[in-house]
Amino acid sequence: MKRPSYRITGGGIAIAAVIAAGVAWYVHGPGPIDFSQGPKVALSEYKAADPTGVPATMAQAGLVERGEYLARAADCMVCHTAPGAKEYTGGFAFKLPFGTLYSTNITPDKETGIGNYTDQDFLNAVRRGKRHDGARLYPAMPYTSYTYMTDSDVLAVKAYLFSLPPVISKPPVNTLAFPFNQRWAMTFWSAFFNPDTRFQPDTSMSPEWNRGAYLVEALAHCGECHTPRNIGFALDNRKKFGGALTAGWRAFNISSDTKAGLGGWSDDDIVSYLSVGHAKGHGTASGPMGEAVDHSFSKLTAPDIKAMVSFLRSVPAVTSPDLPDTLAPRAPPSHKEGMTANALGKSVFEGACVSCHGWTGESSISPMATLTGAWAVNDPGATNVAQIVISGTKRYTPSGALSMPSFGNSHSDAEIAAVANYVTARFGSKGSKVTEKDVATLRKQAGQ
Amino acid sequence: MTTVLNLNGERKSVDVPDEMPLLWVLRDVLGMTGTKFGCGAALCGACTVHVDGKAVRSCLLSIGELGERAVTTIEGIGVTPVGAKVQKAWLDLEVVQCGYCQSGQVMSAAALLAATPRPDDADIDAAMAGNICRCGTYKRIRDAIKLASSERQP
Repeated sequence: MKRPSYRITGGGIAIAAVIAAGVAWYVHGPGPIDFSQGPKVALSEYKAADPTGVPATMAQAGLVERGEYLARAADCMVCHTAPGAKEYTGGFAFKLPFGTLYSTNITPDKETGIGNYTDQDFLNAVRRGKRHDGARLYPAMPYTSYTYMTDSDVLAVKAYLFSLPPVISKPPVNTLAFPFNQRWAMTFWSAFFNPDTRFQPDTSMSPEWNRGAYLVEALAHCGECHTPRNIGFALDNRKKFGGALTAGWRAFNISSDTKAGLGGWSDDDIVSYLSVGHAKGHGTASGPMGEAVDHSFSKLTAPDIKAMVSFLRSVPAVTSPDLPDTLAPRAPPSHKEGMTANALGKSVFEGACVSCHGWTGESSISPMATLTGAWAVNDPGATNVAQIVISGTKRYTPSGALSMPSFGNSHSDAEIAAVANYVTARFGSKGSKVTEKDVATLRKQAGQ
Repeated sequence: MTTVLNLNGERKSVDVPDEMPLLWVLRDVLGMTGTKFGCGAALCGACTVHVDGKAVRSCLLSIGELGERAVTTIEGIGVTPVGAKVQKAWLDLEVVQCGYCQSGQVMSAAALLAATPRPDDADIDAAMAGNICRCGTYKRIRDAIKLASSERQP
């Protein structure tokens, strides 16, 4: 009588194992450049051109200078600096649904920074998410992207950080709830989701594409915001660059989809958006993307930006079903035409917004303030519209800065919700229905 | 860099950087202090001028963005029929209290009346809500706009 039940148990275990393997395979998903079908080879075997390191024009630069360029390309500073604090001293808050995580001080202070890190310690932290004391880092530190960096590039960044003045600064203690406060659990997350492997060029693609792939994947870590996450909080590269909500902002679709992605943008548009944070008729970078432009992309050389564009262009189209099929044209010049409902939204708009953005959405002050054509106003979720109203925005350009003041302190959640709904209805294809409560949530979600 | 401005019907040559706001050029370079600096962030309307006939905040409009478009300031608005009507209505009703915001108010009102000769209250709100007056002369501003738009004016 016992034998058949063992057989059933054994069969059950086998089936469960197959299902578990299937789930694991599904959750794990493809790597960030697996979409390119060509053969991948180790860097040492790739002879066309070196896709790693600094641009050729910086060949003579010293270690620290190279590290500075790479640290900017990897955009270390933005996350490792609290608002108003000294650069790289940490304390920037990541507000997660299960608590707040603070970035660390990465100046070379021996007590509170990384002054005691050996080269190996630094490599472990940046590429394996393993701290000097053996503790595990949370993947807010994008080590699953940085893992593709070469030894020499990581160590150049270290040399740059170690050239900075050490600053004594201890970030606040994380307030993560159980079970997320169990750092050791990240060992398993990391073992499963961190490929812990270096960048492998695709020999079927051009050297420019491979340089772009290295910049986008290993350094700029675009996917960390623009690729949706799976149930394991890892990047789901089946929907690579399809857009996602991160830290209370919407990172839009940057796949080659012609509707919602970059398929309808010219190369020059993308170059302009990355270099100055604005492309005519496509809106202006704000929030976390604005910071990425200010501190990272605007500091890269023109050939590097071009290489990134070449790579971005090749990412397969992923659709964004929640976005409208077309961007709205310019709104009518009279306040009495177009959007008419929503008296509160209109009253906020005519008092605070219209003097720059106009009733048509085309700014008479600067193309950077033009709303027509921007995805933000065409997003029926109105996430970024509400965030920009709350926090304001500032763009630095070669010909000076242009800023929009923040209205978060002068306007209530109800007023911000009303004006976001008015703006998306007037200037977008499908108006939003943001509530007062949504605005309160958005305020909490934004990192700071 | 030398830029030629099309200002109140005249051509004025100024040597300023492209990113300099029009307001600075008017006040600091050309000495035309009728246009006021209020907030510097396009929130108050004190710096309003006309660019190609439309009300624009000059504090954020850079010379580079302005290009060759025609600028009219408070110094030049009285020459236009609508501007003259607005100024007269402002005097008739003694709209002004401290006066700081009023050149911006007059410019916004003149742009409104040029585009909408018979504005209703909603039109006035839509055009004037961004022009702030700390003295609270809003009621007289509204009355003066209506007076300027009425047949009672010459």
